[in-house]
Amino acid sequence: MRYDVTLQRCGLSAVFDLKGAADALRNWAGDMLPPLPDHPNTRTGGGGVELYHIGRKHWLARAPLAQEEVLEAQLKPDACPAEISIVRVSDTLSFFRITGPDASQVMAIACPLDLHETVFGADAVTYSELFGLKALVLRCEGGFECAVEQSFGDMVEDYLTLSCRQKPV
Amino acid sequence: MRLSSRLTTGGRINRDRPLRFRFNGKDYQGFDGDTLASALMANGVRVTARSFKYHRPRGIVGHGPEEPATLVQLEGEDAAGNCPATAVLLREGLSARSVNCWPSPGFDLGGVAQVLARFLPAGFYYKTFKWPGWHLFEPSIRKAAGLAPAPAQPPSSGHFEARRAHADVLIAGAGPAGLQAALEAGRAGKRVFLADEGSEAGGSLLNRTLSIGGRPALDWVANAVAELCGMENVTHLQNATVWAYREHNLLMVNERCPEQDSILERSWRVRAGEVVIATGASERAMVFGGNDRPGVMLAASVQAYVNRWGVAPGKRVALFTNNNSAYAVAADLAAAGLIVTAILDSRRHIPQAALDLVPDLPVHPATVAAGIFGHKRVRAVLAAPLSGDLAKWIRCDVLAHSGGWNPTVHLWSQSRSSLRYDEDLAAFLPDSAVQNCRAVGAAAGDLTLDRIVAGGADLPYAIEPLWRVDVPVQRGRAFLDIQNDVLVSDVHLALREGYANIEHVKRYTTGGMGVDQGKTGNINIIGTVAMQQGVPIEQIGTTTFRSPYTPVSFGAIAGLREGTVLLPYRHTPVTQWNVDNGAVMYEAGARWQRPGYFPKPGESLQEAVNRECRAVREAVGVYDGSPLGTFELKGRDVPRFLDFIYSNVMSSLKPGEGRYGLMLSDDGLILDDGVAFRLDDHRWLLSTSTGHADVVNQHMEKLLQTEFADWHAMITTVTSQWNNATICGPHARDVMQALGTDIDLSPQAFPFMSIRDGMVAGFPARVARVSFTGELSYEVNVAPRHLMALWNKVMEAGAPFAILPVGSESNHVLRVEKGFLSLGHEVDGTVDAYDLGMGWVMSKTKPDYLGKRAVMLRRAGGATRRELVGILPQDPNRQIPEGAPLTPAGCKEATEGLVTACVWSVVNQRWVGLALLENGHARQGETAHVRLQDEVIPVSITKPVFHDPDGTRLRS
Amino acid sequence: MLLIPCPFCGARSESEFIYGGPVRAARPDPNVVSDADWVDYLTVVPNPLGPVQEHWWHARGCGEWLTIWRDTRTHDIVEAPDEIE
Repeated sequence: MRYDVTLQRCGLSAVFDLKGAADALRNWAGDMLPPLPDHPNTRTGGGGVELYHIGRKHWLARAPLAQEEVLEAQLKPDACPAEISIVRVSDTLSFFRITGPDASQVMAIACPLDLHETVFGADAVTYSELFGLKALVLRCEGGFECAVEQSFGDMVEDYLTLSCRQKPV
Repeated sequence: MRLSSRLTTGGRINRDRPLRFRFNGKDYQGFDGDTLASALMANGVRVTARSFKYHRPRGIVGHGPEEPATLVQLEGEDAAGNCPATAVLLREGLSARSVNCWPSPGFDLGGVAQVLARFLPAGFYYKTFKWPGWHLFEPSIRKAAGLAPAPAQPPSSGHFEARRAHADVLIAGAGPAGLQAALEAGRAGKRVFLADEGSEAGGSLLNRTLSIGGRPALDWVANAVAELCGMENVTHLQNATVWAYREHNLLMVNERCPEQDSILERSWRVRAGEVVIATGASERAMVFGGNDRPGVMLAASVQAYVNRWGVAPGKRVALFTNNNSAYAVAADLAAAGLIVTAILDSRRHIPQAALDLVPDLPVHPATVAAGIFGHKRVRAVLAAPLSGDLAKWIRCDVLAHSGGWNPTVHLWSQSRSSLRYDEDLAAFLPDSAVQNCRAVGAAAGDLTLDRIVAGGADLPYAIEPLWRVDVPVQRGRAFLDIQNDVLVSDVHLALREGYANIEHVKRYTTGGMGVDQGKTGNINIIGTVAMQQGVPIEQIGTTTFRSPYTPVSFGAIAGLREGTVLLPYRHTPVTQWNVDNGAVMYEAGARWQRPGYFPKPGESLQEAVNRECRAVREAVGVYDGSPLGTFELKGRDVPRFLDFIYSNVMSSLKPGEGRYGLMLSDDGLILDDGVAFRLDDHRWLLSTSTGHADVVNQHMEKLLQTEFADWHAMITTVTSQWNNATICGPHARDVMQALGTDIDLSPQAFPFMSIRDGMVAGFPARVARVSFTGELSYEVNVAPRHLMALWNKVMEAGAPFAILPVGSESNHVLRVEKGFLSLGHEVDGTVDAYDLGMGWVMSKTKPDYLGKRAVMLRRAGGATRRELVGILPQDPNRQIPEGAPLTPAGCKEATEGLVTACVWSVVNQRWVGLALLENGHARQGETAHVRLQDEVIPVSITKPVFHDPDGTRLRS
Repeated sequence: MLLIPCPFCGARSESEFIYGGPVRAARPDPNVVSDADWVDYLTVVPNPLGPVQEHWWHARGCGEWLTIWRDTRTHDIVEAPDEIE
């Protein structure tokens, strides 16, 4: 059936994987980043950078691709202290946007999470599954954004096309 | 066409919307709102099926999912097999066929099986289908007995969908109890998921003529449905069967033909906070001689056909019951103008309330049905008084029977919650719940409307169980399970042969194992066993209720997974280039689609592979090594961690250096082989084999999080942050220079097994000197966004050296020529590093690392080991199949090894192979023998390396 | 399909997890322990009828390795890890 959604396969974002104790990360990169989110699976934003708290002592910093070099220069992954790990992972994720009135129906096909707004609020972000693959899932304007390991991007496009009988734009 | 049995008024059908359909090749007409069963009944079709084993003529017995007799195969658009005709909603153009008869149920050549019936007793399959002769019987029996074949074609249009839902309360069943529960939860603002198997809500109220608060009960239903429809927090589905109750309140719901374009069925997995089981009750059959004849029907079903579908299943109806419910049926039938010729009641004392409902009908207390006259339809029933008085025939064309009611406890029981036997209801009832669920309404034993909805008026229920008729005058076969043709005598035989446990009786007789799962008959089997053994029924217990409650198509379970998305697949940025350049693509580990080889037009696989291999050995080749697992490790404790998980020492590496190593599990198995590089003091890069990347990640994370939580090491997967083009061959350095790089490529500045960051062809790159081919190699890693551009530049820069893309077939040949390992070929669960001639990789200096103790312990046992050797077929043109066994002197004896790989070596111009062979290291120069089914191939045993044994080329 | 309590993510579908086996005795020092005890350590795995402590990896989730006590008769999770806040 054709659901009333818009599917969009997105281009790259600048993404940096941050690991370590919150204090150590703040000491190294606190000035460059928005405040660290307080709760698991939530996000903060500021200065064009979003920060996703997606695991124990684990965050993703995400920004438009144009900011990648600047962020890299600020975060200095190669020079950061032994206590923390910063790795550029922009290319490892393929992002999709599913927006429109039926977005949550398509997500119900793809993902086992309870995405009801009372459970999965506006600032929610988490790793879960998309068609059985590990995937980052978050809300965006008018729907949801998901990201899978880049090499599975074509497969997920295939799956989404079948799920709602229309091609991504 | 004559709608012979349709009543002129009444029923929930739309007489203004006739629908045409086909059944067994004949055209008929029904109405919107009909099921296939009600439409056939309306058309006077009485023989609708032939039975599973004996090919006896059968008619329609029930009106819902309990239907045991009439299974049909749907053809065309929604092709499916073994659907109960009572569950198939009529639609324009529907085409159906009876299963298990040819050419038609009325004239069935398989009916000859009835004559052979005494050769098909209980346990027939167990006695017949055993070695050595079973295969002689199996095909013909499979053909003669059985159900529908799988549809030859997939549905011609439409598709299946599977999705999830989450609810505070899931309610199974939208009868009065379910609707009431939904209203309560919905009004409380809970997220409600209400699913009902019928085409409209109301449950049994649809089939009856009850009232609530003095008004028709269906008005109450309509109001409830309308109120639920107005609640945003309520999802209400009809034609949606809750068919499985799994762990932690996960329930499976199968929704058929939702009113949406193109979806045939939708499968829901619902996770619910609380589950309300409002699945009602189903009527059970009476067991008496001839109880399977067409026209012998469940009493409530006869009532349903009259009230809900406006169809009279017959003109003269006799009833046979042991409980009150049949009296309400009789009253409804009489009101609709049918002649009720007798009510046979096995009870001596019949409650006055029941008798009051039918003041003018002939009631025969303490009388049972003991036989049916008529073959393809009922003509009379033999009424036998239990007093032993003379039995007499009573004319009828339908015998409606009621053996009482079973609360539908399937879901309750699937949740692993317990049942108890209730003496008053003579039925198993929900007892204590083990998950967060409760049963309500008839499913909980409240069998009458007055106990469910305030103001509901209903006849009180009372029953005296009768598990089977047992009078001397009884005639004909008495069926316990009509679908699987299980007779009372089959159960007796099973008990005589020692199958006393009810689960054994079930398997041995196949009673209750049909598509209907014995909904009408199981209780009678249990009762028959109890009677025969002289024990109370609760001591026998029930068989296990298993999902699915009703059949579910595979399509609904699979959802979207068919065609291109049957299995996951992974691409690299070069995948499309490979396809465009003629590569034969297939999966090569961990779901990656990779090029196998690049044939030119007219070229065979072997010719293409030889050409690619020669390019690498003599000039230069390039392959896409992106799928290799790549992990960045960071932290002060990474060196000691790597020393623990690899069998050799990694901590001594200096920045920029790498080392090949084996990763063992603690029980000594080889988990992976790979390369560790040190990037700087605290940063490391691990490269693993493609197929084991996920396992290695799991292994490392488990150790770091559960065993060594105080060690400081962090892992980031970067497989898809670094894709690579691996340039290999004597001209690899020339191609690198032509690409342009700021990395000093001289062997002194950038030796084998080292890694450098720099620019290559204008892209930021991390170049590793590793070699999986035995030639000089540069693994040029760039961000995936740059790989395609790099690839094009490599092809351009390599053109003067006749560079070729190399597929995985050639990679296999090249690694075998060098004797490099492949996990899954040379390495299985029995092999250790010493067997592979790699004792050097097992550190002598480290006191402990994973797998060390286990390997040492195993070797100390002194058992003969299979060791890696090279083999040369003595006929150089003889290929040996990979996996072929080696036996002593080629005799038909226990194997002493196997061929792990065999390839045509372009450098040796002959077939060469690798093998695991008992004591192989000591047998070099000897001859071993490959034993095939009809041939013995002598092979010479050599060292497992056929090219550049000193490794000067890969270090060059 | 179990619903497994992840300390970081809360209750999640079993499909997001990879089973890591029952929790075993601590690894003995292989340079001290006897052969028999070492073999026991490697091969004897708890398999009770009733509560068992087991590892699960939230592989398609936050990546946490967690342990729960699960009753093998009912799938009841009788003890869950503390939530992270």
